[in-house]
Amino acid sequence: MSTLTTRPAEVGAAVGGEPLATRLHRWAVTVDHKRLGIMYVLSGLVFFLVGGIEASIMRAQLARPANDLVSPEVFNQLFTMHGTTMVFLVGMPILLGMGNYLVPLMIGARDMAFPRLNAFGFWLFLFGGLLLYFSYIGAQGLYGTAVAPDVGWFAYAPLTDRTFSRGNSTDYWILGIMVSGFGSIATGLNLVVTILSMRCRGMTLMRMPLLAWMMLIVGLLVLAALGPLTAAQVMLLFDRNLGAHFFDPQEGGSAVLWQHFFWFFGHPEVYILVLPAFGFVSEIIPTFSRKVIFGYPLMVAATVAIGFISLSVWAHHMFAVGMGPALNAFFSAMTFMIAVPTGIKIFNWIGTMWGGRIRFASPMLFATGFVAMFVIGGLTGIMLAMVPFDWQVSDSYFVVGHFHYVLFGGTVFAIFGALHYWYPKAVGRMLDETVAKWSFWLLFAGFNLTFFPMHISGMLGMPRRIYTFQPDRGLELWNVLSSSGVVLQAAGVILIVWNLLRSARKGAVAGNDPWDAWTLEWATTSPPPEHNFDVAPTVGSRRPLWDLKHPEDPDGRYE
Amino acid sequence: MSEPREAPYSRAIPTPTGGPLVTAFGVAMLFAGIVTNIAASVIGAIAFAIGGVWWFREVFPREQLEAIEPTGGQSEVLPPPLPDREAPSKRLVLPVEIHPYRAGVLGGLAGGAAMAAVAAAWGIVKHGSLWLPINLLAGAVNPSMAALGEPELAAFDGGWLAIACLIHLVLSIGTGLLFTVALPMMPRRPMLFGVVVAPVILTALSWSTMGIVNPALEEFISWPWFVASQVAFGAVCGFMVNRFEMVPTMRGTSLAARLRVERSDGGGEPS
Repeated sequence: MSTLTTRPAEVGAAVGGEPLATRLHRWAVTVDHKRLGIMYVLSGLVFFLVGGIEASIMRAQLARPANDLVSPEVFNQLFTMHGTTMVFLVGMPILLGMGNYLVPLMIGARDMAFPRLNAFGFWLFLFGGLLLYFSYIGAQGLYGTAVAPDVGWFAYAPLTDRTFSRGNSTDYWILGIMVSGFGSIATGLNLVVTILSMRCRGMTLMRMPLLAWMMLIVGLLVLAALGPLTAAQVMLLFDRNLGAHFFDPQEGGSAVLWQHFFWFFGHPEVYILVLPAFGFVSEIIPTFSRKVIFGYPLMVAATVAIGFISLSVWAHHMFAVGMGPALNAFFSAMTFMIAVPTGIKIFNWIGTMWGGRIRFASPMLFATGFVAMFVIGGLTGIMLAMVPFDWQVSDSYFVVGHFHYVLFGGTVFAIFGALHYWYPKAVGRMLDETVAKWSFWLLFAGFNLTFFPMHISGMLGMPRRIYTFQPDRGLELWNVLSSSGVVLQAAGVILIVWNLLRSARKGAVAGNDPWDAWTLEWATTSPPPEHNFDVAPTVGSRRPLWDLKHPEDPDGRYE
Repeated sequence: MSEPREAPYSRAIPTPTGGPLVTAFGVAMLFAGIVTNIAASVIGAIAFAIGGVWWFREVFPREQLEAIEPTGGQSEVLPPPLPDREAPSKRLVLPVEIHPYRAGVLGGLAGGAAMAAVAAAWGIVKHGSLWLPINLLAGAVNPSMAALGEPELAAFDGGWLAIACLIHLVLSIGTGLLFTVALPMMPRRPMLFGVVVAPVILTALSWSTMGIVNPALEEFISWPWFVASQVAFGAVCGFMVNRFEMVPTMRGTSLAARLRVERSDGGGEPS
C-alpha cells in the first residue's frame, strides 16, 4: 500500500527560473536516478580535475633530473592521493553514475529498484571522498602538521603500521575509502536488482543492451570485491588503533596477507572500471557504424567469463613477492585466460566497424581511440602476465605505462566518448562538435606522449613512485616527453569541460534521438521526464527503435 | 497539486526525501570521529538516527509516491509484427560457412604432437636428453630456471613435465582454434597459411620476445630447429583443419534449430 499524490512533471526549463536555494534543495533531496547519475558524474569530474592537478605536479617534478619542485614526502602524498582519487573517486562514481542514469532508461524502467538507497549510496561516496580530502587539513603528521595519506593507493603493509606511518593520515585513507565503498556496495546491489527485476515487457536478458549486461556484471563484481576490501580495512584499522597484528610480521601477522586481501579487491576493480567502458563502446560503435553489434551472444558470454575469471587473477600483482612456481604458474595461466574473452570483444568491435558506414562523430572518435589504446594496454598486460618478464619490470615505469593505457586510454577515453554520446540526452542540447574533436585529438596526442615513453623508461630501469632521478641514467628524454604530454592533455580536458558548460546553454537543441540510435533511452524526450516514459515500452528485439523506424524489416527475425 | 489518493499508478515515482542524505552524513561523521574528535561521532550518531527515522517514515507504514502527469513528445515503443522467417530477406548474413571448432581442437592437438616430436628430436640429437626441451618450456613460468646449468635442465622433473604439458596443450589448442578462423580467409591456398605464414609470424613473435618471456629457453634455443617445429605444427594443423567439411553458421535461425532440437527449414520432425 502506498500514499500517492499527483503533479506535473518537472522538465528542464520549467524549474529554470526558481531561486538557487530551491534548485539546490531539489538536487539534495532527489531520489531520481537521473539526477543522482548526473551528480555522480559531476562529482567525479571535479575529483578528476583534482587528481589531474596532482598528476601534473608529479610530472612537473619529474620533468628534469634531480628536481626539487616538491619534497619526497609531498611526492608520496601526491601519488597516493592521485591513485586513490582516480580509482575510488573518479572511475567508480562516474561509471556507476552513468550506469545509474542509463540503465533504467535502457531497460524501460521508471527508476532504480531502491531509489532511496540509491541516494544514500551517492551521498556516502561524496562524504567518503570529502573525508579523505579533509586529511589535507585535519590529519596529524609526523611533526604535528596536516598531511595527506602517503602509503600508496594500495597501502601495503607494513608501511601502514603505526611504526612507519605516524599520525592518522593512513586512518583517513582507510575511513574515507571505507565510507565511499559502502556507497559503491549500495549502488552495486541496486544495479543488480534493477536489471534482474525491472526490465520492461519483452526485454529478455538476451535482448538487453550490452551496457546493461556490463553493468549487471559490474554490480556483481562490486558486491564480491568491495566486501573483502572493507573487511581488510577494518583489520588494518584494528592493527593501527587497537593493537591487533593482522599485518605485522614482527608479531606473527603477515604483510603478504594484506597484499592478497587488497588485490582480491584490486584486480576485479580493474574490471569494475573497464567493463562499463566496454559497455559504452558497445553502444557507440554500432550506432556510428550503422550496424548491429557483431556477435552479441559472444559479447555477453565474454562479459560473464571476464566476471568469473577476474576473481582469480589477483596474485599476478604479486609475482615478485615470492609465492612459488605453482602459484605463479596458476595466476599466470588465469591471466592469459582472461585475455581470451577480452580479445573476443576487441575482435567483435572491429567486426562491427568492418564494412559499416562509419561516421567519425566525437563519440565514435573517443570509442575508436579507446579500442586502440586498450589493445596496447591489453598487450602489455599479457607481457606482464609472463612471470619472467614481470620480474624484470615489476614496480617500474613500464607498469605505470601499462595500467594508464588500460585505465586512461581505456576507461577515461570511453567515459569521454559516453559523455559526448549521452550528453544530448541528459541536457537536451548538443555539444559543439568542432571543440569536441579538438579536445579528442589533444587528449589522444597528449596521452600517448605522456604514457608511451613510460614503457621505455621502465625498461631502462626507472622505478615507479620515485620522486626524482639522477641525470646520468638515460632517462631524461623519456621523462621530459612524458611531462610535456601533460600540457596537451590538460588542454584537452579544459576544452571538454568548457564544451560541457557552454553547450548546456548555447548548444543546438538535440531532440529525442540526435544520433539515429536504437536503444530505448532515445525514445523518450531529451532530457527525459522524471518518470522516464509516459507509456511503459514493449520491445521485440535488441534494437527497439530500429524496429520502430523500420517496421518492414524488424530485427527480431534475425535474433 | 491534486488530492492524495491511493492506488498503483503507472507513472508513480518516490517522493524526494532528505532521509538518505542525512543518514549518509551521519555514517560519515560517525567514522570521522575516529580521526578527529569524539564529538564528531556523537553528531554522526544523532544524524544517523534522525536520517534513519526520516527514511523509515518514507516507506512505512505507506510508501510516499508521486504520480507524474504525462509530458508527451515521446515515441511509443511497441514491437512490429515479425514477418515470416521464410520470406525473402534484405540482409546478407556472413559468413555463410565456417570450419567447425572441433577441427581446430583436433588440428591443434595433432599439430602439437608433431611440434613436440621435432622438439624432442632436437633435445635427443643435439643435447642427448628428451627432457631438456620440456624443462625449457616450463621455464616460461619459472624465471629462476635461467640460472640452472645444462645437467639440471636435462634431468627429468615430474612437476616441470606437467607444467610444460599444460602450456603446450593450451597453446596448441588455442592456435588450432585460430587456424579454424584464419584458414577460410585463404580459401584457395589454405596450406600456404599453415606451412609458411603462421610459422613466419609465430617465429618472428617468439624471436623478438624470447629473451623476456623465457630467458632459459633463449640461452639454448636453436632457431633452425625452432622454425622446423613451427612448420611441423602449421603443416599438420592446417592439413587437419582443412580436411573437415565446413558447416553453415546457421545465423538467423532459431536457437532450437541451432541446437538441432528442430530442423532449420522450419518444419519436420525433431531430430
